[in-house]
Amino acid sequence: MTAESQIVIPARDRSSRRENWGRAFYRFRQSWLSVVGLAIVLALIVLAVAAPYIVPHPEHALGVTNTAARFQPPSAAAWFGTNELGQDIFSLVLIGSQVSLFSGLAVVVIAIVVGTTIGAIAGYFGGWIDEVLMRITDLLLTIPSLILAMAVAAALGTGVFNMIVAIAITWWPAYARLVRGEVIGKKEEQFVVAAHALGAGWVRILSRHILPNIVSPIVVKASLDMGFAILTVASLGFVGIGVKPPTPEWGTLLSGARSYMPDYWWTAVAPGMAIFLAVFAFNLLGDGLRDVLDPKARR
Amino acid sequence: MALLDITDLQLSMKSYEGETQILHGINLKIERGEIWGMVGETGSGKSLTGLSVSRLISTPPGRYLAGSIQFQGKDLLKTSDREMRALRGRHIGMIFQDPTTNLNPVFRIGTQLVDVALHAGRTDPSVLGLSAGASRRDFKAAARKTAIEALESVGIPDAASRIDDYPHQFSGGMRQRVLIAMAMIGKPDLLIADEPTTALDVSVQAQILRLIHELVAERNIGVLLITHNLGVVAQICSHVAVMYRGRILEAGPVLDVLKRPSHAYTQALLESVPTVHTRRGELRGLSGLSPEMFV
Amino acid sequence: MVSFILRRLLLMIATLIGLTLLLFVVARILPGDPVGLAAGPNATAATIAQLREQFGFDQPLPMQYWTYLTGLLQGDWGTSVFTRRPVFSDILAYLPATLELVFAALFLAIVIGIPLGLLTAVYRNGVLDYATRTLALGGIAMPRFFLGLLLQLAFAAWLGWLPLAGRFPFIEIPPETVTGFYTVDALIAGDMYAFRIAAAHLALPAIAMALSPLATIMRMMRASTIEILQQDYVMTERALGLSNRLILFKYVLKNAMTSTLTVIGLYVSWLLGGTVLVETVFDWPGLGLYATQAILTQDFMPVIGVTLVIAIIYLLTMLVVDVLYGVFNPKVRYA
Repeated sequence: MTAESQIVIPARDRSSRRENWGRAFYRFRQSWLSVVGLAIVLALIVLAVAAPYIVPHPEHALGVTNTAARFQPPSAAAWFGTNELGQDIFSLVLIGSQVSLFSGLAVVVIAIVVGTTIGAIAGYFGGWIDEVLMRITDLLLTIPSLILAMAVAAALGTGVFNMIVAIAITWWPAYARLVRGEVIGKKEEQFVVAAHALGAGWVRILSRHILPNIVSPIVVKASLDMGFAILTVASLGFVGIGVKPPTPEWGTLLSGARSYMPDYWWTAVAPGMAIFLAVFAFNLLGDGLRDVLDPKARR
Repeated sequence: MALLDITDLQLSMKSYEGETQILHGINLKIERGEIWGMVGETGSGKSLTGLSVSRLISTPPGRYLAGSIQFQGKDLLKTSDREMRALRGRHIGMIFQDPTTNLNPVFRIGTQLVDVALHAGRTDPSVLGLSAGASRRDFKAAARKTAIEALESVGIPDAASRIDDYPHQFSGGMRQRVLIAMAMIGKPDLLIADEPTTALDVSVQAQILRLIHELVAERNIGVLLITHNLGVVAQICSHVAVMYRGRILEAGPVLDVLKRPSHAYTQALLESVPTVHTRRGELRGLSGLSPEMFV
Repeated sequence: MVSFILRRLLLMIATLIGLTLLLFVVARILPGDPVGLAAGPNATAATIAQLREQFGFDQPLPMQYWTYLTGLLQGDWGTSVFTRRPVFSDILAYLPATLELVFAALFLAIVIGIPLGLLTAVYRNGVLDYATRTLALGGIAMPRFFLGLLLQLAFAAWLGWLPLAGRFPFIEIPPETVTGFYTVDALIAGDMYAFRIAAAHLALPAIAMALSPLATIMRMMRASTIEILQQDYVMTERALGLSNRLILFKYVLKNAMTSTLTVIGLYVSWLLGGTVLVETVFDWPGLGLYATQAILTQDFMPVIGVTLVIAIIYLLTMLVVDVLYGVFNPKVRYA
């Protein structure tokens, strides 16, 4: 050891919270696949928001047809070709992203709100409340979710809102299970016991002390679920239950294209690739977020 | 020709921070019938020396910069993977620290013992008491018989039925016996024991050490016993090597080294061992020693 | 173990009874008028009332449920309002086609996914590893129905190697029914010609369904293999000279299977519930198409029936998975 060596304490000019964010972002960037996912997701959102202003044929998304230009293969004029009604598929797919992203988000949000409420109550109170709520949750989990969503959507009638409700009904149980487990884990922690001792009520303890501490696993699950929610929306559209034309929706577009395969293959490829890309991007993003927010699950 | 002759072994390991030299020229010679204790702190390189003899360090990240490991006259660092595998289990046996994690939990102990016996038997059928042309079925039957004998020889009662039990049905000490049986099943010439008693409680420790001692006496094998416990060394070793920061500071017959340590580090190490005469608060540690002080 | 299975079966029956109640209530809460739809737009009020009486819809709800529940046990799963056919026999007719598809897909996913997961774990960060991992990420995101369409385009329309859709051509004679699986029945009958036809029709839909479980099984297997390879006992096995192949395919595989097993079990339900998508693409005459038809006409008896069948298969699969846990991990106690 030499005399010159001194211990230098680096000046802290950043708050620890910002430092945490910086570290999380660094870890996220480590995996280039999650960065790709984030980039695609952001691009999709921008495109969906800007779609009405940038599509070449906004009128086609409203049901206007142009039968003179039926089944045009992809070209400079119509990038993804035209369909059986002469509508520009590029315009339809772009506008369709609004329905897909919006309903995917809505499904996940509803599922989180319902699932978190039920899971938190079950986990916090335990006892018979837990028993009853979890039995119902488990029953719902044994039902094939796609069939249930199809049945409910068909019974409620067509429309974006009905479809969202139908899918959300099948999605909340998974969140209820997740949140219940996390709440049970946090319930015994010192800070919760302390809050209880200070006389805080259960609503306050749950909303101010427990839930903020279990946001990470919910966010991770939600980002992974976004992709699958979009996929489910498209699935309903594909089997003919869900959004009805003229509202362009990726699954419905694909379903319509099926009748014109294989000769007019481009009518199927564009909406199909759109679904794939959206699901893919959200999966990558979710994987990346899991690495950042849930280091225990890292492999 | 010595059983094991390590000369000037130098090993470096690559990690994200770059390449670090771990072993700085190890010299060690083990003859049959000798039990060499290798003592040193955590990270001194004693385990890596043991693993090097079985060539279980993957290269990369490891890299041998210089030196040789002569086993019965053959340089292990230059042997092919295939030849090396034939030596493992048959000529070189190994046991590790934690008996709870070193037995595969989802297989009956017999399955693992029989597979090791079959491997050793394939290299040398005489291990199983067979001649070269024996049939597959003979091999299987002989391997199982050998496995039961191996369990009996390490003092597992009722070995013929316990061979079909799973690891979790044995106590820690019994599991270490099973692992010793597995290491000895191929009748090896050299046994490398890496902290074999550290995870066991004291009374079981003594039993395991006695067992190793008996095996040496009975089969005239050489043992490299890696430990950080000078008490263990004093109990059963014939020779001792003191390791520090990838170097052997001092080596020789155990009485010479422990009675008349010539090296300051060995002295410090010996002084840090608590005895019944140690008073409360007198427990010593080794702190802040840099390698330059001794080398 | 036997008492464990019996207890689980009893629990399963309780679950199924709860499920019928739930489905029955949900079916009645939801708007929708199956009788009106079945009777057609020109039906008079009197016809509709008569139909309602015929199907017992005029009874109070608890009464209807009781009739349904007692009927269930006697193999009467209700009658379709739309087709007037008994639900149970319809399901029995459609189930084999769906199961054949699901099992074929699961078989592909397991047989390819498990070795691939093991190998990519061993040759981690190699070319094979990166290639399969990228494909796996894509495979999970790929919609089954879109993949089906692409497969049809490539292998049926352009290359012409495999049939476009359907399960068995009408002009050919299907093999005699033993299991209801055409491929298996053809093999039992020794009819290689029929087997080739059945297998050719099965191939594309099975691949379309297999990709996602394959990718997941592979990822799961890779992750757990990497973890197992770092265990002490693997070092001991290597130190005692066991060959890499023996260590990997015997000692590591069995350890890594436990976590993968759960995923496989969950996928049975996922595949069954999602056959409708692939069945739609390939006109595969299975439960999914049957359920879709019923859903579109709001004919809820068949829907409840299909849901029940899938739930039964799902619960049985989870029971098998739990029993297999014990095979793969001797520490598991059946409590």
